[in-house]
Amino acid sequence: MRSVALPGPLRRFIDNWFESHNPPSRDSILLHNRRLYILPTRFGYLFAIMLLFLFLAAINYQNSMAFVLTFMLTSLGILSLWHTHKNLLGISVQMQIPRPVFCGEDCVFEFELSHGNKSRRYAIGIQYLDQPTVYVKLEPEGSSAAKLKIPTHLRGEFKPAGITVFTRYPTGLFHAWGWLKFDLPILIYPHPAADVRLQHTMVEQYDGQTSTSTIEGDDFAGLREHREGESLRHISWKAYAQGKGLLTKTFQGQARPSLWIDWDLLTQSSVEEKLSFMSALVLAAESEEQKYGIRLPGLVIEQDYGNAHKHTCLQALAVFRQPDREQEFRPPYD
Amino acid sequence: MTSPGTTTSQNLSMRSIPQEVASRPCVFAVCLCFLVSIAPHFVNLPIWVVGIVLISLGWRSLQNLGKIRELPKWMLIPLVLFGGIGVFAEYWTIVGRDAGLALLTVMTSFKFLESKRHRDMLILVFLCYFLIATHFLYSQSVLTAVTMFVTLIVITTTLITLNQRDDSVSVKQRLRSSTQLVALSVPLMLILFVLVPRVPGPLWGLQTEQRGGVTGLSNHMSPGKISNLIRSNEVAFRVDFKGEIPAQNQLYWRGPVMANYNGFSWTQSPRKPLHRLNITVSEPGIDYTVTLEPNGEHWLLALDMPTRVINGSFMTEDFQLTSKQKINDLKRYSMQSRLAYKVGLNESRDYLALTREYPDKFNPKTIAFGKSLAQRFDDPTAIADEVLNMFRQQEYIYTLRPPALGNNSVDEFLFGTRRGFCEHYAGSFALIMRSAGVPARIVTGYQGGEYNRVGNYLIVRQSDAHAWTEIWIEERGWVRVDPTAAVSPSRIEQGIDDALSDEGSSFRIQNRNPIFGNLLYNWDNLQHGWNDWVLNYDQRKQRDFLNKLEIGIENWSDMVFALVFLLLSVTALFWFIAWYRERPPRPQAYEILFNRLLRKLSKKGFRKKPAEDTRAFLQRLPQRDLPQREQIAGIIELYNHIKYGRRGASTRAVSNLRTLINSIDRI
Repeated sequence: MRSVALPGPLRRFIDNWFESHNPPSRDSILLHNRRLYILPTRFGYLFAIMLLFLFLAAINYQNSMAFVLTFMLTSLGILSLWHTHKNLLGISVQMQIPRPVFCGEDCVFEFELSHGNKSRRYAIGIQYLDQPTVYVKLEPEGSSAAKLKIPTHLRGEFKPAGITVFTRYPTGLFHAWGWLKFDLPILIYPHPAADVRLQHTMVEQYDGQTSTSTIEGDDFAGLREHREGESLRHISWKAYAQGKGLLTKTFQGQARPSLWIDWDLLTQSSVEEKLSFMSALVLAAESEEQKYGIRLPGLVIEQDYGNAHKHTCLQALAVFRQPDREQEFRPPYD
Repeated sequence: MTSPGTTTSQNLSMRSIPQEVASRPCVFAVCLCFLVSIAPHFVNLPIWVVGIVLISLGWRSLQNLGKIRELPKWMLIPLVLFGGIGVFAEYWTIVGRDAGLALLTVMTSFKFLESKRHRDMLILVFLCYFLIATHFLYSQSVLTAVTMFVTLIVITTTLITLNQRDDSVSVKQRLRSSTQLVALSVPLMLILFVLVPRVPGPLWGLQTEQRGGVTGLSNHMSPGKISNLIRSNEVAFRVDFKGEIPAQNQLYWRGPVMANYNGFSWTQSPRKPLHRLNITVSEPGIDYTVTLEPNGEHWLLALDMPTRVINGSFMTEDFQLTSKQKINDLKRYSMQSRLAYKVGLNESRDYLALTREYPDKFNPKTIAFGKSLAQRFDDPTAIADEVLNMFRQQEYIYTLRPPALGNNSVDEFLFGTRRGFCEHYAGSFALIMRSAGVPARIVTGYQGGEYNRVGNYLIVRQSDAHAWTEIWIEERGWVRVDPTAAVSPSRIEQGIDDALSDEGSSFRIQNRNPIFGNLLYNWDNLQHGWNDWVLNYDQRKQRDFLNKLEIGIENWSDMVFALVFLLLSVTALFWFIAWYRERPPRPQAYEILFNRLLRKLSKKGFRKKPAEDTRAFLQRLPQRDLPQREQIAGIIELYNHIKYGRRGASTRAVSNLRTLINSIDRI
């Protein structure tokens, strides 16, 4: 089915209408009457055509039982409209804050569906565009988790707008759905280029002396609180055994050379290639436990290390001159 | 960023048809569904079509189990051609009821063989829904209706099976859901049935084909014809009388009249419609309503002598009510008759000559006997009396199992076997009268009927079929003479069962089943009511019924208005009941009280965040602007005690909370 090109003002009107009825949510979306939509499926239309034929045949043959059948099936249709709608009504959907992924990996959205009614809900699907659907069911007053995997093709901040929760249960004549628009963007880091090692020619080295205590060095300087991301090798297990908590041994001395990952020093031609290379360098630097910083046009991230620092750097790379998604993520219509 | 606008077009692709291959349980469910839908048709279909259905279903099921391979695609075209040609060879047509059904069945069976995808399965389920309708071209009885409901449940269960997407719904639950759907549809269906304005049909020309009735009166009569029919216990028609039901021996239901005689059988002679019935009557008319089962012929049965003509029918010159169209569906008509009458006083010379004709090659003895009677008596009445006396006094026996007769059947019967059924007596009597020069003809129809005391109406069955004669007498016109009455008065006075009690005949409900008699009368009454209210609910009945309700529904716009109103109210009622039964549990009393406090506070501008801890919320409350802060702190403490404390929501604690919160209200 091809989408119909709508004239600009009408399109904007519909967009605004959708936006005002489906505000993006940060915590949970409750599927109530105003958030639910329902339309016949292709089979619903086929069913209606069949009913019309039956009705004409009943008139023609003046066959009372054919009237009874036609009206039975009409009522069945009316009721399945209601049942299908009811199957989604009152369900509340929560989305967990999505974990960032590298471009090319599948990003995972984890939804938690729950409701407080005493009915069972069946065959509730969650789908993003034409990606495979995940189906769940809900026990009375129960909840279910659904993991939706979406392949990524572009780096950047990604807030999928086309995720729907839908159902066609029980008869498949109607498609009821609600939009799952969460204000929780997922970060898609640039795809790390392959075969990148820390060649010091590609990054600007910084040989400054440091006098502060670091985990690198020769002379033991003391203990301080463990920071997330620091290597477990430096934890003072002796202190931990004494019940002092996780402490990191620090040493006095000269740190290993720290480095800058600098945009201007890269020779790749395109933005994406450069970012991809920088992404790989960040990962390499982190795994070699070096201090590193990032220099992008208009943005400098000071040298540091650790998991948090890695993600800060990758995020900066992800959103740097972010490509326009709308062109690329348009769904391929069937 | 994705603009929200893309969403409008996305939903179109969302509703596209699932392309995936149907799962194994789905295929089995659809096979079963088709079998249930088609099974009642097995008696109406040629045996080879039934074979194709069973083989296809078997093949598809085995294929589903992985026992045999899928039928190669190229095989389908020859199969479809074979099916089409087969149906054509069977019926010499591919349209019409029987051929159409056979073709639909064959093609659906072949569709099964190539169906793999989910979409094909859904289409097959729709075909099954459609197949139900075809049953009503054969029968519209109460039992067929019950079968329809069972089949509907099976098909809807299959539809649910196909739409559950994974095997998460148990079979029991699916059956329950579909039964619930079908059951809830019934009230809506009744509203639609009563109120959807009926349009008089047909909309397009119908094939003149026999539908419904297979047994009934024939357009010719020969020895053995009626005694064959009489073995059928089927109902021919039912009659509701406005007043008293006339005596049994007055109940002559007039059917086809036969004036042509070829020496062996009697046939109808073509007669023109009568423009004006010249009838001399001496008694008031009898009003009644006939509900005629389909007989596949043109004749409308009525009490001798009908004095009214209904729409779409006419009366022939031999006073036979004839419908312009074949009666292929149940027909209900109001009729008026006179029991005492004089008709046909000015019968045409040609017709009188015709009704005196007979071939003289056959039955020489009878003809000679008739001629001798003509010499002995002048008066036709005297001749008739003489013959009737002969039947009465000699050893003539009324029996359902007369011996076989040869070429001169009347001679053999009258002077040899002397055992016969009504057609023997009527036929021989008419021949004697003709050979005596008296115009005579045969009237076939029904005589008598069984009174249903439960529903206060008369049941006339095929077993009440009868044949009698009419002779023409100057000044009196056509006069009914029933020779059977002379042989077996009880046939006419009491009915067929009494007349044939020696032969163990039991057509009457009462005689067949003295214990369950009442139950069977009730069952027949149900069928009569079904005919009356369901099968006969047409435009006229609808108007009469709605007028009788006197709720102001007079034209079709009123009907549509009432229809929409009732549909909405019933669905709203369903919705409300469902909502009430499935509603989330009511919050605890203390939660309601506490929410009241929170509302009060939020009105003053202190709003608790959804996930905020109550104590953290208390910390945020400013000391200065809120004089009752201490009290609120107490309430929050008590609330937490009730909610998380070991003793929980004791009545006393909750009433304390209520007092505290009410005191806040007052300030």
